[in-house]
Amino acid sequence: MSQRFRVPLPRVFLAVAVLGFLICSPAYPSGFQVMTQGARATGMGLAFAGVADDPTAIFYNPAGIAFQEHFSAEAGFAVLGRFPSDFTGANPYPGVGQNGSIDDTQQFLVPHVYVVAPLTAELNFGLGIDAPYGLGLRWNNPNTSWPGRYISQNAVIRTTDINPNFSYKLFPELSIAAGADYRFSGLQLERDQAAVNPFTGSVVDVAHAKLYSGLTSNGGWGWNVAVMWKPTPAIGIGASYRSKITVDYTGTITLTPRLSGNPVFDGLVAATIPFGEHPVTSSIAFPASLNTGAGINFGDGWLLSLEADWTEWSSFAALNILFPDGVAPDVHRPTAWTDSWAYRGGIEKKFGDWALRVGYYYDNTPQPTVDVGPILSDNDRNVYSFGFGYNTPQWGFDVGGLYIKFKHRDVLTESTDNFFGTYSEVGWAGVADLRISF
Amino acid sequence: MNKNTLRFAALTAALVLFAAVPAGAQQFAQYVALGDSLTAGWQSGCLVQRNQVTSYPAQLAQILYSGLFELPLVQEGPLTNSGSPKCLGAIFVPPASLSVAPMSEMANPLNAALPQPYNDLGIPGAEVADLTTLTHGDINGTDLEQLSALILRNVTHSPLDGTSAVNQAGLLLGPAGSAGLATLWIGNNNVLGASTSGIVVDGLTLVSPDDFQASFNDILAGLPPDTHLVVANIPNVTAIPFSTTIPPVLVDPTTRQPVLIGGSLVPLLGQGDSAYPCTPEPPNRGCPLPPGTLVNLPASALLGIGVGIPVEAGGTGAPLPHGHVDATGPHAGVTLYPDEVSLLLERTGQYNDIIASSIGSAVLVDANAAFNGIAAHGYEIGGITLTTSFLTGGIFSYDGVHPSTIGYTIVADQFIQAINTQTASDYPRPDFANTLFTPNPPDPGTGASVVAGGPWNYSFDMWSDVLGTTAATRALRGLALPTVATTRMVPRLPAPARAPAAREGRPGGKQPADD
Repeated sequence: MSQRFRVPLPRVFLAVAVLGFLICSPAYPSGFQVMTQGARATGMGLAFAGVADDPTAIFYNPAGIAFQEHFSAEAGFAVLGRFPSDFTGANPYPGVGQNGSIDDTQQFLVPHVYVVAPLTAELNFGLGIDAPYGLGLRWNNPNTSWPGRYISQNAVIRTTDINPNFSYKLFPELSIAAGADYRFSGLQLERDQAAVNPFTGSVVDVAHAKLYSGLTSNGGWGWNVAVMWKPTPAIGIGASYRSKITVDYTGTITLTPRLSGNPVFDGLVAATIPFGEHPVTSSIAFPASLNTGAGINFGDGWLLSLEADWTEWSSFAALNILFPDGVAPDVHRPTAWTDSWAYRGGIEKKFGDWALRVGYYYDNTPQPTVDVGPILSDNDRNVYSFGFGYNTPQWGFDVGGLYIKFKHRDVLTESTDNFFGTYSEVGWAGVADLRISF
Repeated sequence: MNKNTLRFAALTAALVLFAAVPAGAQQFAQYVALGDSLTAGWQSGCLVQRNQVTSYPAQLAQILYSGLFELPLVQEGPLTNSGSPKCLGAIFVPPASLSVAPMSEMANPLNAALPQPYNDLGIPGAEVADLTTLTHGDINGTDLEQLSALILRNVTHSPLDGTSAVNQAGLLLGPAGSAGLATLWIGNNNVLGASTSGIVVDGLTLVSPDDFQASFNDILAGLPPDTHLVVANIPNVTAIPFSTTIPPVLVDPTTRQPVLIGGSLVPLLGQGDSAYPCTPEPPNRGCPLPPGTLVNLPASALLGIGVGIPVEAGGTGAPLPHGHVDATGPHAGVTLYPDEVSLLLERTGQYNDIIASSIGSAVLVDANAAFNGIAAHGYEIGGITLTTSFLTGGIFSYDGVHPSTIGYTIVADQFIQAINTQTASDYPRPDFANTLFTPNPPDPGTGASVVAGGPWNYSFDMWSDVLGTTAATRALRGLALPTVATTRMVPRLPAPARAPAAREGRPGGKQPADD
């Protein structure tokens, strides 16, 4: 009797299963950053670092709260979604005619709360709770016709930041601020795993892998500083820097079988793949950022705001997946992202207590083409904003919206995942806030 | 200046005139593929229509060629007791193992009446010299002569008698002028035969670099000067699953984990070679294989009966046979000692240097670098990981030597990428989805028994079929292997038609058999 060959499905199965889960799903500012943390700012194209005259300044420029003389609280939420967004396949894989679409019924509610408390004439305290990174990308027909299912079917990243700040007015025209930032974060990443059926020589789905890490059990510390200069009452110039925050994740990866219909093959797979739940750890380095802007009040209710934002996406250099129980080799994958700039502008026109706002920004993607894939298909984008609000000294509300038109992203010559095609995506965001002041 | 040098000088001058492949995605008016079993589309121990239509030349033709790409199609039929090469497939061996078994075999030619040479002139078993010297086929002759009769149809009374593969390529390419394309992938058998037979003997199973150079020059000189040429070099044949699947240490056949005795690995036993002389320590009759030794797949049949396993580990103590040549002739083996592996790699490098330096401005496909990368890191595509592992890796077919359809698509892709890169062209790459998800088990035909005679584990019988397509040298032809069938490798061919009727072709490079 000769020696036989037991199905040598590799021990690295788990590593392969999560290899694609190395970067997170996009939000609408570049990468997976979420800047829609205030309705008024949203209406002005997210150009608010040089304005920063309401409680959302805690996010856009905390030094701005030094000029706010009353206890104020602002709460609201952003809803983010997509218009129909597609993937068109190209050779060599998945091939011409192999297309997909993003689940545009999926919408994300991102709440935020900001409180400003004057302590002395110079010293103010502010507290913000928001979600500056995250969102998700889920593909339609994830288990059947979506050709990118071996890379990603669903990718979700969630964050919640608690960000206390103190501001201090050094001079009547100049303030500074500093704060701490604790970020909770969770991951959910899903994909199918393929293997070669030795009886047919063809590729079939054999498992579903779901990596999950809860929101509240993982976090990391960061810090922020800011400055605001108002050389005249009509002009504000501000800058806000936020540090890199590294979040270390602990979670699980759960492998469940995808039956082929061939009981013999399924049995061989079951004898080889470690189905069930296994511990996993990972880490994401959320980038540092610098927002610089100017707000100019031209009188008669006209306000112009301009801003340039830099994000150190190069710090998102790699993502690592570790398996503490040794069930699979650790995975280390570089992402090769680069730092990015966004350029924003917005106008506000007040009509008594009412205001109308419009804005525009151009956001450069930090993601190189080679890294673009079903987990994240980021690209440069043109974004148009609008908004309105009603504000009195005691209370107010604001509403803002974005229309986000991504440039088509052609991945036709090089791809880390060897997954080729064109991504077409259009997004939207709506933000609503309510403010009270005493 | 000898004849070969003159010929080479003329060739080099001609090659300089070879314009790069036209920019953009312009298709060629004629395309001929020259080579060996890899070019023919041999897979899983046989050459049948099911696999010929997805050979790498056939896939390239769909991209590069505007005409009908004609193949020497062979019908796939049910298993018989004939000596026709068997098509292997995977079978389940309870409780959780796989083995391979013959499930179908090569039957009748399907396109023998074609009134011109085939576009795919890959001859299984051909070495570099055979493309110019194999001018007469014989359905009752040696394995190579039988395959020549099938592919080249240069049999007695045929109008193609007396023509070689290069001659026939010239018949097709000559009228096309600069609109003709030839791909050339030859030389694999100049090292593969030595590797798979375990007989690594310079001058016997390995030709000298000078002889290789001369034969390679003859091929280039025989092609029309205006033809666009794409040439692939020789991959590392010691990295194929035929030689990498069985480790040189004892493995538990159930767990596939190495067996430890006294905390140490247990090397398998071999006969030694000149660099590793063997003085057995009784009761064993063989010596431990040194680290780095490769054990070829046919050893599985011997290990299953205790050969190659030390007595203290429950084996017979007999050594695995080592290929060698003595007064009675060559004797095949199943081991490649480190010095033999080194020689194979050294010679492969020398051959590849010759190829690279001989082809002038022709496009070079670095198959060696591509395969080494895949062997080391696998091949990732769309989240699917393919490897060179036997049976489950996806890249190699059931014979452990030849690529699977997926593997041939990777080959075609390497050709396209090389053409695009080196000629600033923009030809579309092959569509992998067509081959990744298409089942390709042996197809013995309606009503036929899938497995005749029960499981045949990977044995010398199958090995002989593999060797039949990779015979490296004349010395191996007629080699007395255990249980080697001596009957014809291919069925008797019908006499080629002398005045065949015009045959309507179909554009796009697809095969009539696709219909």
